[in-house]
Amino acid sequence: MTKSPFYKRLINVDWAGLLLLVILSVILMSVISPAFLSTYNKYVVLRDVAVTLLVGLSQLVVLAIGQMNLSLGTIGGLSVVISGGLMEAWNVPVPLAVLIGLLVGALCGLLNGEIIVRTGINSFIVTIATSSVFLGINYGMTQAVPFYNLTPGFKAFGQARWDFFPYIAVVTIIVTIIMAIFFLRTIPGRQILAVGGNVVASETSGVPVNRTIVMAHIISGVIAAIAGILLMARLGQAQPTIGQNWLVPSFAAPIIGGVALSGGSVSIMGTVLAAFLIAIIQDALVLLNADPYYVQFLLGILILAAVGVDRLTRQRRQFE
Amino acid sequence: MNILSQIGRNWSRFGLLLIIVAFWMFFSLVSNAFLSEFNLFTMLRISSVMVVIGYAQMVALSAGEMNLAVGAIGGLMTMFLGGLMEAAGIPTIPAILICLVVAALVGMANGLLVVGTGINSFVITLATSSVFTGIMYITTKGEAFNLLPADFVAFGKMRLFGLPISPLIVVMLITTILLYFLYRNTALGREILAVGANRGAARMSGVNSSRVLIIVHTLSGFLAGLAAVMMTAMLASAVPATGTDWMLPSFVAPALGGTLTSGGNVAVIGTMLGGLLVGSLNSGILMLDISNFWLQFFMGVILLLTIGLDRLRAIHAERAIVQ
Amino acid sequence: MENPNVLALEATGVYKAFPGVQALDDVGLRLRHGEIHALIGENGAGKSTLIKIITGLYKPDQGVMRLDGNEVEFNNTNAAMKAGISFVPQERNLIPAFTVGENIVMGQTPTQGVFVDYAAVNMEARKWLDVMGLDIQPTTIVTQLSAAQMQLVEIAKALSMENAVLLLDEPTASITPHETEFLFKVLRGLKDRGVAILFVSHKLEEVYELCDRVTVLRDGRNACNDEPLSAINRDKLVSLMIGRTQTVTDLPDKPVKREEPILEIKDLHDRSGTDGVDLQLYRGEILGLYGLVGAGRSELARALIGASRITEGEVLVKNTPVRIRSVAEALNTYRIGYVSENRKVEGLILPHSVAANVSITVWRRISHMLGWIWGRQERRLVEEYVGKLEIKTPSLLQLVKNLSGGNQQKVSLAKWLAADVEILIIDEPTVGIDVKTKYALHDLIWQLANEGQAILLISSDMPEMIRLADRILVMKNHRIVGEIDNNHNYEHISEQIMQNLM
Repeated sequence: MTKSPFYKRLINVDWAGLLLLVILSVILMSVISPAFLSTYNKYVVLRDVAVTLLVGLSQLVVLAIGQMNLSLGTIGGLSVVISGGLMEAWNVPVPLAVLIGLLVGALCGLLNGEIIVRTGINSFIVTIATSSVFLGINYGMTQAVPFYNLTPGFKAFGQARWDFFPYIAVVTIIVTIIMAIFFLRTIPGRQILAVGGNVVASETSGVPVNRTIVMAHIISGVIAAIAGILLMARLGQAQPTIGQNWLVPSFAAPIIGGVALSGGSVSIMGTVLAAFLIAIIQDALVLLNADPYYVQFLLGILILAAVGVDRLTRQRRQFE
Repeated sequence: MNILSQIGRNWSRFGLLLIIVAFWMFFSLVSNAFLSEFNLFTMLRISSVMVVIGYAQMVALSAGEMNLAVGAIGGLMTMFLGGLMEAAGIPTIPAILICLVVAALVGMANGLLVVGTGINSFVITLATSSVFTGIMYITTKGEAFNLLPADFVAFGKMRLFGLPISPLIVVMLITTILLYFLYRNTALGREILAVGANRGAARMSGVNSSRVLIIVHTLSGFLAGLAAVMMTAMLASAVPATGTDWMLPSFVAPALGGTLTSGGNVAVIGTMLGGLLVGSLNSGILMLDISNFWLQFFMGVILLLTIGLDRLRAIHAERAIVQ
Repeated sequence: MENPNVLALEATGVYKAFPGVQALDDVGLRLRHGEIHALIGENGAGKSTLIKIITGLYKPDQGVMRLDGNEVEFNNTNAAMKAGISFVPQERNLIPAFTVGENIVMGQTPTQGVFVDYAAVNMEARKWLDVMGLDIQPTTIVTQLSAAQMQLVEIAKALSMENAVLLLDEPTASITPHETEFLFKVLRGLKDRGVAILFVSHKLEEVYELCDRVTVLRDGRNACNDEPLSAINRDKLVSLMIGRTQTVTDLPDKPVKREEPILEIKDLHDRSGTDGVDLQLYRGEILGLYGLVGAGRSELARALIGASRITEGEVLVKNTPVRIRSVAEALNTYRIGYVSENRKVEGLILPHSVAANVSITVWRRISHMLGWIWGRQERRLVEEYVGKLEIKTPSLLQLVKNLSGGNQQKVSLAKWLAADVEILIIDEPTVGIDVKTKYALHDLIWQLANEGQAILLISSDMPEMIRLADRILVMKNHRIVGEIDNNHNYEHISEQIMQNLM
C-alpha cells in the first residue's frame, strides 16, 4: 500500500536545523536563567507563540500563493475594535461578537483579493494601500481609544491557563492543524500551492487561479482576525493599536521557517518552530533584563541570517 | 503614438496640479483658516518633508528596487542627529553633515546586502528596517531629544523674506533640481533607469548593474536621512516615533507622480507634486476637524486609485499598439 | 479504433503574419494515428509559430485545422487541450513542490469531498507511469527527479488526458543519450497504442532513429510536407532545412590583411559546455561561425564577452592574454561588443526610447564632469547612427517596443556601432527580419569590415553566411569541426559546410 504523503511530507529535512536551534536555545536559557523553566515563564512563552504563530500563518497562506499581505496587522486591529466594540457598547454575546470579528477579517481579505485580481496590481501595493484604509476606519471609529469593558467571561478565557498551558493556545493549535491539513490534503489548499508554484501550469490544468488568489487572501484575513481577537482576550481590552507591529514578525516566522518567497512551498512545522524561536528570544531578553528593544534588532538579523543560509544551501545544491 | 504618450505623461503632472489646486480650493471653502499664513507655512513645511521621503523611495523604485527601511532610517537618523547635537554637543552644521553621511552609509549597507546576497530588496530592507529600528531604540531608550541647539530650532522656524516660506522648502527644491538633472542629464541617471527597466539587457550593454544598485540604495538612505533632518528641524525635537508612518507616503508620492513601480521610469516633478498633495491632504484633514486618522484612509484610497488608473492607461496603450 | 485513413491532425493553408514578417506562408501539416512525425526547421523557419497555432496560443490569419476529420478552431490553450491535443513544452511545466502523482492528475484530481483522494491519485498516476514503463514512485516530489525524469512525467501527464495527439517540443534538449534511448522506447510504445506523435527537434540523428515521416519548414513555408523519412537522406534533409537558393547579389571583393589576430582563442572551455575551441580573428575580416541550433556558438560568444565563466584555455586580445569577467569590462577595457541573438529580452530595453537604447554603451564616454551628459551631444551621436543604419522611427524618443522587428534589430546593432568597438560579435542578425532590412544589414556588415572592423558573425542562415563571411568556421557539439576559406561560390561552399557538419 502506498504510504500516506501527509506523513512523508511532514518529515521534511529542511526544518531539522530549526528544531535543533529551538532545542538548543531552550537548553541554553534553562541553564542561564532558572526562571526560564518555571511554570509562569512557560506560560508566557506559549502565550506569545499563540499569537505570533497565527500572525505568521496569516502571512504564510498568502506567501504560499506567491503574494504578500501587508495589511494583516490592520485587519487584526479592525476586527478587534469591531468585535470588542460590539461586546462593550451593545452587549453582544461573545460568540456572536467573535464571529462578526472573523467576518470582518474575511471581508477585508476579500477586498484585498478582489482588488488584486481585478486590477492586476501587485499585492504589495494593494495591501499597503488597504492597510491604510483599514487603519483609517479603525481609528476613525475609535479615535484610538481602546474598549475597556469587554465581557468578563471573554477576558477570563483570555487569561486562563492549565498550569503552564494557556487556554488561548488551544485555538492556535486547532487553527494550525486545520491549516496543515488544508495545505497537505485539501483541494483548495493544493490549488493555492499549485498557483504559487507554477501559475501557468495551474492555469492550463484548469485551476481557477483568480478564485484561488481571493481565497488565499480571505483566509489570511480570517487568521489575522483570530490572532487579533486572541490578543484582545489576553489583554482584556480591545486596543486599536493591535497589529501595528505585526508586519516584521508576520514575515519573520515564515521566512525563518523556510517558506519559498516565490510561492508554492510552505512549511507549517517550520513556521511553528520559528514562532517558538521568536517567542523564546523575546522571553530571554526579558529574563536577562536586557533591553526589550533588542527584539526588533534580533528579528531583523534572524531574517537576514535565514535568507542568507537558504541562499547558501541552494547554491550548494546547484553544484551537486 | 509618441505624442499621445507625451501628453499622457504631462497630463499626470498637470492633472496632479489641478487636483492639488482643487483640494486647496475645497479646503479653503470649508475653513477660512486653511489659507492663513500660519497654515500655509505649516503645510508647505510638512509637504517638503513628504516630498523628500517620496524621493527616497522614488530612487529605489527607479532602479527596480524598493526600500522598506525608509522610515526606519528616518527614525534612526533623527535620533542620531538629536544625540549628536544634544548629547554630544556637536555644533549644528557638522552634526547635520555627519548625520547625512551616516545615512548614506546605512543606505549603502542595504545596497551591499542586496548585491552581495542576491536576495531581493524587499526582504533585505524589511529585515534591515527591523535592525535599524532596534538599534535606534536600544541606543536611545525611546527618549526624545527636546533641547536642540537654538540655531537649529530657529532654522526650522524661520520664514524667508517675511513670507510663509520655510528654508525647508528651499532644501526640497534644491533636492528636486538635483534629482531632476540626475535622471535627465547624467550617465548615472541613465544607467539607473536602464537597470530598472531591464537589468539583464543593461548588463549585457556594459552597465555595471551592481555598482548602480549600491549607489541607488546609498542615495535612498541619504534622502531618508535628509528627510529626517528636515523633520527634526520642523518639530524642533528628535522624536523616536519619527518614520513609523513614512512607508505609505513614500510610495504614494512617487505613484501619484507616475513613477511606475515596475522600474525604469521616473517622474521627479510628479513625485514632488505627489508629496505636495500628501502634505496638503494632511493639513486639510486637520482643518476639516475630522479625525486626523481619516488621512490614512484617504491616502490608501488615493494610492489604489492612482495605480489603478495607471494600469488602465498602460492597458489602453498596449491595446493601441497591437491594433 | 480510429479510421486509419482519417488524419489525426491536419493543417492546411495556414498563414500567419506579424508586423513586417510573414511567419507562416501557406503551411500544411499532416499527422496520422500511430505515427511519429518529425517537424523540423531552423530558427525563424516558422516552427514555433505553427506549434503555437496548433496548441491554441495563436490564431492563424487563414487556414484550416482538422482533428480526425472535424474542423476545429481554438480560442485558447485549454480549448486545444480539451479538443484532443496534448502538448509537452520545451521548458518544464510542472509544479515543483508537488508529487509526481499530483502533477500527472492535475486538472482531473480525484477527490473525496474537499479532500484530495491520494490513494486514487497515486493509483491513476501509477497507471500512466506503467503505460510508459517508468519506475518512478507517484509519491516522489518533482524536485527530486532528474531533468529526464521530469520530462517523462510531463509526458505521462499529457497522456493522462487521453488525447489522440501528442506534441513534443525539443524533448531531448536537456537529457543524456541514455535517457533519450529510454524516452524513445516509451514513444515507440505509445505509437503502437495508436497515439499520433509530433516530434519537434533539431537533432537530426534522433529524427532518423525515431520518426516515420517528416515535414520541413523553411522561411515560413513547407520545404517538404509529410514525406517518409526513408525517402530522404541526410544531405537532402539538411539542404531542405537550410535552402539551396542562390544569393541575390554578390558583394564586392574585400581584401583582408591577416597580420596579427586582434582576437585569439586557444583551447577554450567554459561553464556552458564549450569544449576546446581555437580561433583567430583579424581586423577587417568577417569570420563566420556557422552551425545548427544547439551547436554552442552563442555560448562561445558569451564566454568571450565575459557573460559566462571560462574554465580552461586562453583568450588573447591584441596578443595580450586577458581575463574578462563582465560585459562592462569587455566593452570598456577591451572594446568587444556583442549583438545578442535575443534582441527583445537581452539586446534592447523595450520600454525605453531609441535614443536611450542607442546611447547606452557610450554614456560613460560622452559624459563630462560628474557624469554630466549634454543632451545635444547625445542627440547628435544617436542621430548619426540612426541615419547611418536608416532606422525608421518618427522620433528619437519613440519607444523601441513600438518599432518593427527590423528596426529594433537595427537599434540593437546601432548601440554597438556607437560604442566604437574593435571586435564586434554579431549573433543571428537577421532572424525574423524582413528581407529588405536583411540585405541592408548585410551591406552594413560588409561596410564595417571594409572599414577595418573585426567581426565574428554567428549565423545559421547558409546563404547569409556564404555571402558575407571571409572565412567560415563550422561548429558542432561545442567544437569547431571545420574551417573553410570562403570564395562566395554558393554550390561549392555550402557543400563543404555540409560535409563538415556530418
